[in-house]
Amino acid sequence: MSETGIIDYAVLIPLLPMLAFPVILFLGKIFNGTPGWVKNAKEGGIIALTVMGASLVLTLLLIKEHLHHIGSTNVFTWFESSWWNPGADVAITTKVFGFGIHIDHLTVMLLFVAAFLCFLINVFSIGYMNTDPINDNRNHRFYAEFVLFCSGMLGMVLADSFLWLFIFWELMGLCSYLLIGFYWERPSASYAAKKAFLTTRVGDVFLIIGLVMLWNLFDGHLDYAYVFDPVNIAAVNSGDLQIALGMMFIGAVGKSAQFPLHVWLPDAMEGPTPVSALIHAATMVNAGLYLVARMFPFFSGAELGALSTLAIIIACIGGITAVMAALIAFVQMDLKKVLAYSTMSQLAYIFTGLGSALWFANNGHDDLAAFAMGASLFHLFNHAMAKGMLFMASGSVIHEMHHAHHEVAHHDDDHHDDHFDAQSMENMGGLASRMPITATAMFVGSMSIIGIPFIGGFWSKEGIISSAWQVALKEPIFLLPALLILIGAGMTGFYMSRMWFMTFAGKPKTEVAEKVHEQTAWIPIPLVTLTVMTLGAVVLAGMHAGNWLGNFETGHYSNFFDGFGTEIEHVFLNHDPFLMILTYVAIGLSLVLGPSFAMALYGGSLDGDKKAKPWMQWAINLSAKVNKNSNFDNSKWANSSLSDSLHKRLHFDAIYDAAVMKIVVGFANLSAMFDSKVIDGAIKTIESTSQNASRKIRSLTTGSARDYIMMAALGTLAIFILLWGVA
Amino acid sequence: MIDPAWVSGLAAILFIIGLWGAFSRKNAIVVLMCIELMLNAVNLQFVAAANHWGDVTGWVYAIFAIAIAAGEVAIGLAIFLSMYGQHETISLDEVNLLKN
Repeated sequence: MSETGIIDYAVLIPLLPMLAFPVILFLGKIFNGTPGWVKNAKEGGIIALTVMGASLVLTLLLIKEHLHHIGSTNVFTWFESSWWNPGADVAITTKVFGFGIHIDHLTVMLLFVAAFLCFLINVFSIGYMNTDPINDNRNHRFYAEFVLFCSGMLGMVLADSFLWLFIFWELMGLCSYLLIGFYWERPSASYAAKKAFLTTRVGDVFLIIGLVMLWNLFDGHLDYAYVFDPVNIAAVNSGDLQIALGMMFIGAVGKSAQFPLHVWLPDAMEGPTPVSALIHAATMVNAGLYLVARMFPFFSGAELGALSTLAIIIACIGGITAVMAALIAFVQMDLKKVLAYSTMSQLAYIFTGLGSALWFANNGHDDLAAFAMGASLFHLFNHAMAKGMLFMASGSVIHEMHHAHHEVAHHDDDHHDDHFDAQSMENMGGLASRMPITATAMFVGSMSIIGIPFIGGFWSKEGIISSAWQVALKEPIFLLPALLILIGAGMTGFYMSRMWFMTFAGKPKTEVAEKVHEQTAWIPIPLVTLTVMTLGAVVLAGMHAGNWLGNFETGHYSNFFDGFGTEIEHVFLNHDPFLMILTYVAIGLSLVLGPSFAMALYGGSLDGDKKAKPWMQWAINLSAKVNKNSNFDNSKWANSSLSDSLHKRLHFDAIYDAAVMKIVVGFANLSAMFDSKVIDGAIKTIESTSQNASRKIRSLTTGSARDYIMMAALGTLAIFILLWGVA
Repeated sequence: MIDPAWVSGLAAILFIIGLWGAFSRKNAIVVLMCIELMLNAVNLQFVAAANHWGDVTGWVYAIFAIAIAAGEVAIGLAIFLSMYGQHETISLDEVNLLKN
């Protein structure tokens, strides 16, 4: 099935950034430090921006063409096999290896997310990276790795087979490693880079095992067109299919930082903030979700109930991670780490939603499956937009804190403190009036993540929670993830509010925080754009984006004015009383309970007569009031052993380190011994034996010509005797 | 016509003289001469056998052997010359660089 149109040029979307990678790298090497390169080309930032802009334009054109119908095209065939079919008297040609593009609603959505956010984060990077003296003369490396990463993400989304998905997946893994370790001279950064690379590698090994199993099950095919064909799925043993998909799911767990392979994500915050926004919030961590969502046709095509176990496992992993990450986020003081744990928690929501969708699909409830899938993917969209914005806003705060710290240190040498932590929320406070754009962006982003009604993530989160509970009504084991994500909703309300109030409300906690003001160019552009996008999600919800996303091929969206009413009715006045109660419980937890605790603990009015923008001032006033009227003392909690273990990230890192020490180092010692004793020993024995032998043989060579003549004569004689004997 | 047996006998005697000389003498040039003697003994045997059987192959071999012997002498003498240049002797007993 091939067609013409923009899809013919779709391959340029990943190809352009990939080509820009060597260009930026070599130009940067040649022109490094020259004024033109630094001022006009922004050390490669402008080249990257041009390329990402071109990719974004192509993406938008492609999306416009494919809003209503799916498409696929073959870009090139590297080699193919053909054989002769004697019965039909024709040669049958099968594509064996090539690259093609597959476009359905899932692709369209994720392609938009990836291209749009890559572009905005590129804009942000020009403001963030190029004004930081620590990055002088090495930003070309950042932009080169940046575009290569974008190429990987866009390629992964567009690919039409699991094989190419895996190839681009690994490309992203590599760039993630390079970008996290951008400040390689810091030991913590290079440690974090290694940790991220190795942890995701554990998942990737399982992914490739899963792919090999899949390849084996489907007669050597990994392209979507073949493996998603219901006829082919029906012919496969579902027990084997479940194991193969389970293996692939472990790969997704690693990439999306889910329990138990989550330990790399918080450490990955060592990278520059645009990297955190790009990789660890908006794009790469979604790759795992994309992979699981892609498995949908297997679940609807396989035998009824045969893959339920895997769906339950996916949902349970999601539920456990959602609560665990939220708990750890409670005590984090580092602004970016709160966001990192929040990312883990929200991705876990999506995994739970996907698990519900897959369970429904595998048990014959197609409508419910499409609804759950749509909610999950819509949450993916909302989360990517909001979290990309939150990371960029946190970057803006950190950047201005750095600037302010430099100013303070410059004016007053006594206060110079190299250990000042510009990322710690304990040093912030009262920034709402000093950074209005950033504060607004964070305000909206946090509300979207919490799920405040009508804003961004609310629509999708309600969908996920209600889907999970609907499965739980049919399958009791599902009560665990369903209950966990319901509790998680309240916890999200707490830690996101805590983050916002600690950073932006109250009085400045340090002298540096008093001096902060928004001044860097380029940074506000993506913040404003994404704020609008997040608020605009209500329009998408009204247009039944969930329905459109949930049915990859047949879904349709409706007019906003027609759809909004039914959507509101569906959420707030559901005809099913159980779902209606559930919705209000979730809203109560996330809107009232969580934020109230945060206000009681961390709220407070701004210093002096400073005023924030009116849309935030009410929240600050409210928090001050709640804070004053509640004498909630959390010191007992703060000193408890639970809090202690939360500070230590529930000991996962320590346990993994110990496990690595015991098992891996033990094994390494064993194999080192094997190497030195057995392998080296064998080689050394051979060596010494042959040396001894050669020393003995050497005495035969006397150096005297007479002896050589004698040997030649005797040799000839021997040959004659032999010939005579044979004859 | 001389009986081929006599010629073979002569060739054998010449060969043994050459072999004995190559073993016993220490002057490199004499050794080379002895080797030539052995070659010519073989040539004689070739020619005699060719004559006896009426087959041209033996003559051809003899001519080849003479040509190669000429080349061998040229190279051999050049080697002795450079040997003399380095060791100031061409006595084979004193030149044993390859020992061990």
